[in-house]
Amino acid sequence: MQIIQSLLNGILLGGLYAMVALGMSLVFGIMKLTNIAHGDLIIVATYICMVMAVQFSGNLLLAVLITICFMMLIGFLLQTFLINKVLDKGPEPPLLVTFGISITLSNILLLVFGADARYIPNTLKTINIVNTEHFSISAIYLLNFIVAIVVICTLHYIMKNTFFGRSIRATADDVTTAELMGVNTKRIYSYTMCLAMVISSIAGLLVGMNYTYYPSTGTEYLIYAFGVVVIGGMGNQMGILLGGIILGIAQLMGAYFFGTGYQLLAGYLVLLIILTIRPQGILSKATRR
Amino acid sequence: MIQLLASKPFKILNIKIIVLILIISIFLTLPLWSSEYIISVFVLIFLYMSLGQMWNLLAGYTGLVSLGQQIFIGLGGYSLAVITVLYQLPIALGIIVGGVISILFALIISQPIFKMRGDYFTIGTWIVAECLAVFFSVWTYVRGGLGFNIIAAYKLSTTDIYYMAVAMGLGSIALVYFLLRTKIGLALMAMRDNESAAETLGVELYKTKLKVFLIAAFVTGLTGGLLYLSIAYIQPRASFSITWTVAMVFIVIIGGIGTIEGPILGAFFFILIKQYLYNYPGISMIILGTVAILTILIAPKGIVGTLQERYGFEILSIRRR
Amino acid sequence: MATVLDVQDIGISFGNNHVLKSLSLELKESEVLGVIGPNGAGKTVMLNILTGIMRPTKGQILFQGENITNLSTTERCRKGIGRTFQVPRPFEKMTVFENILVGSVYGDRKSEKEARVKALEIMELIGLTEKKGWFAGKLGLLDRKRLEIGRALASNPKVLLFDEVAGGLTESEVSDILGMVRMVKEQGISVIWIEHVLKTMREGTDRVLCIAEGRNVICGIPEEVMRSKEVHDVYLGADEE
Ligand SMILES: Nc1ncnc2c1ncn2[C@@H]1O[C@H](COP(=O)(O)OP(=O)(O)OP(=O)(O)O)[C@@H](O)[C@H]1O
Ligand SMILES: [Mg+2]
Repeated sequence: MQIIQSLLNGILLGGLYAMVALGMSLVFGIMKLTNIAHGDLIIVATYICMVMAVQFSGNLLLAVLITICFMMLIGFLLQTFLINKVLDKGPEPPLLVTFGISITLSNILLLVFGADARYIPNTLKTINIVNTEHFSISAIYLLNFIVAIVVICTLHYIMKNTFFGRSIRATADDVTTAELMGVNTKRIYSYTMCLAMVISSIAGLLVGMNYTYYPSTGTEYLIYAFGVVVIGGMGNQMGILLGGIILGIAQLMGAYFFGTGYQLLAGYLVLLIILTIRPQGILSKATRR
Repeated sequence: MIQLLASKPFKILNIKIIVLILIISIFLTLPLWSSEYIISVFVLIFLYMSLGQMWNLLAGYTGLVSLGQQIFIGLGGYSLAVITVLYQLPIALGIIVGGVISILFALIISQPIFKMRGDYFTIGTWIVAECLAVFFSVWTYVRGGLGFNIIAAYKLSTTDIYYMAVAMGLGSIALVYFLLRTKIGLALMAMRDNESAAETLGVELYKTKLKVFLIAAFVTGLTGGLLYLSIAYIQPRASFSITWTVAMVFIVIIGGIGTIEGPILGAFFFILIKQYLYNYPGISMIILGTVAILTILIAPKGIVGTLQERYGFEILSIRRR
Repeated sequence: MATVLDVQDIGISFGNNHVLKSLSLELKESEVLGVIGPNGAGKTVMLNILTGIMRPTKGQILFQGENITNLSTTERCRKGIGRTFQVPRPFEKMTVFENILVGSVYGDRKSEKEARVKALEIMELIGLTEKKGWFAGKLGLLDRKRLEIGRALASNPKVLLFDEVAGGLTESEVSDILGMVRMVKEQGISVIWIEHVLKTMREGTDRVLCIAEGRNVICGIPEEVMRSKEVHDVYLGADEE
């Protein structure tokens, strides 16, 4: 019954991928920006988390709270002083600026932490919550999934029911009108990035608890995030969870049928196929033709 | 007065040609009077110049911002390795096969990848490159993650490689220059200004972009082969690494996107910084990343574009008169 | 006279916005057909459908008897359909000469050598010879409109579609455009000309078609159409002339 186990793990892993993608989806939805530095920002959060966990003798909750503060600051500064300045300069500059940020961040990590693989020590990884003869559920995978659902619901609530969320959505719908009504859209963008960083910090913690990582791991998570956003659709938080699950299942089925070496490849190929079938991505409204 | 007016452009043309001949002869005779180290630095400059020209042709002239050009570096390098190591065939064949395979692969992926627009194209190309990196790591035919020592390359002197690099670098400049002066160049300029207007005047957007994509794949593939001649060791993670495209992006952004002179200057700049900080590879990437970001913010047209705007000169003009 | 363009019962919707419901028209050889209609009537959308930029959800388009409904924009250009845009879209970073060259090289599939000769002729026709080397981005509105007409002419069309070529111009500039449309007509090219200024329509067209609410309301001799009750109703309350 290995296949049931793989399916189950794929679904639960989907929670992690949804978390990884959520911040990117938010940023894409609000400011139509494909943030190439997204994966690296998550890994930066992972490293900060790791350092903080050591500082606070393994208290991960405290570690992630402090990480969130750091990441909000980083996100705010990057958005305000770099990205906001190029957002209205056509399609290439924002893309290339975030690409530059991505490269700079991953090399700063390399410089500070070296190229070795790291992980955030935790006991959840070795515990199985459910253990039957057909399948088992590991605590960490379950945690991924639960956190994803909690965060997604919270985000959904914020966007629908708070003034902050409403002004974000107003900006996303129509920049000109929002500006006419006195909304400072650039400021909103900075706050959006902060919100995305809160989510990405949590994602960073989960990534570090689940897998080993290097300074260059950001690319991998950028691709996952991008793929999930494409599959799941913009501004649709439940869609993001679905996208994560599809990616998770694709990967573990690839591993099941072709061996673990093909896990990554299977995920990438599924993304490429979806990108091809939905050339504009599921998230963008159809333009001409 | 009339005489003066008539002779002025002629004189400028003359000076241009003289300077050009001078520069080319300096580069051609370089191995005769300079050190091994300088020669090897210029090998890199010329090869990266070619990479920059091709990325510029894509991003600057065709609007195809690809972050997957490392695909063709890897394919070029691996073709060289497989041909010379597994089959013991000549190096020249390895390089050419690299170019041909690159073109074929580009043709195959163009089907799905061209369905993606804008940002999707950008990340789509990158995903393809990552796929290849993973696939080559598990593909036993190319020895998986072990890679190859390209022994045949040891037989070549730096000078041999230098002349190939010069041919590649100058060839890529000439190629872009003449390409832009053909019909395709006219279409590219029109598309860059307004795609829908170009289309209603009979320009075939898809075909034109595809042609450019294939040309860039071919030249990047050849250059990849030459790069691996000088590196002499190939391994999937490094050969399909985004670092190659990072270099191309920096060269083009810093030099000046959408100009022929930009990548020439950019390549010098890039390699000099890289060599200067050779022992601190991390730092050089950080510096280059920061410089590139600042360039986009402060002088989005790069060094050459900004100078052109201010002084209105063009060394390699593609204007039709 | 033979029919060049035969538009049969086309329709298009954007979501719930049924912009064109059922539109038909016939364009004869060497005819200038004026098209009027209130803002948002779908005039520009109609041109986009004729040039293949948008696809109709129903109906078909015959060009010289051939069904071109499924051809691409490029293919239609090569068959001989040229257009201008409501807001001119010259290639701003190219010179006037290069702009026209694009039409001639790609639309008319001439070699660059032949195309140059043709482009010089056309610049003479549209009166831009002196500004040959100017970047199109530097041109004023009238010159932009001239350039767009010239560029379209260079693609050697049989039908030209003008989207408010006289809009936003002064009276003397409008007469300049009027002259140009006559010149086009004399070359045996049929024209569909969208315009709001009814006076210009009266002077420059052979027939006028009025569209509103996604359908053709009335079509005929300019004088008659403009005096008709239908057109009056359509424009009543609208702030048009
Ligand atoms: N790409 C599009 N997507 C959605 N709706 C569109 C699109 N293009 C046009 N429309 C809608 O179609 C309707 C007709 O637009 P169109 O531009 O054809 O009007 P028009 O008759 O040219 O008016 P005007 O005189 O102002 O130029 C408008 O309601 C417009 O909102
Ligand atoms: Mg209109």
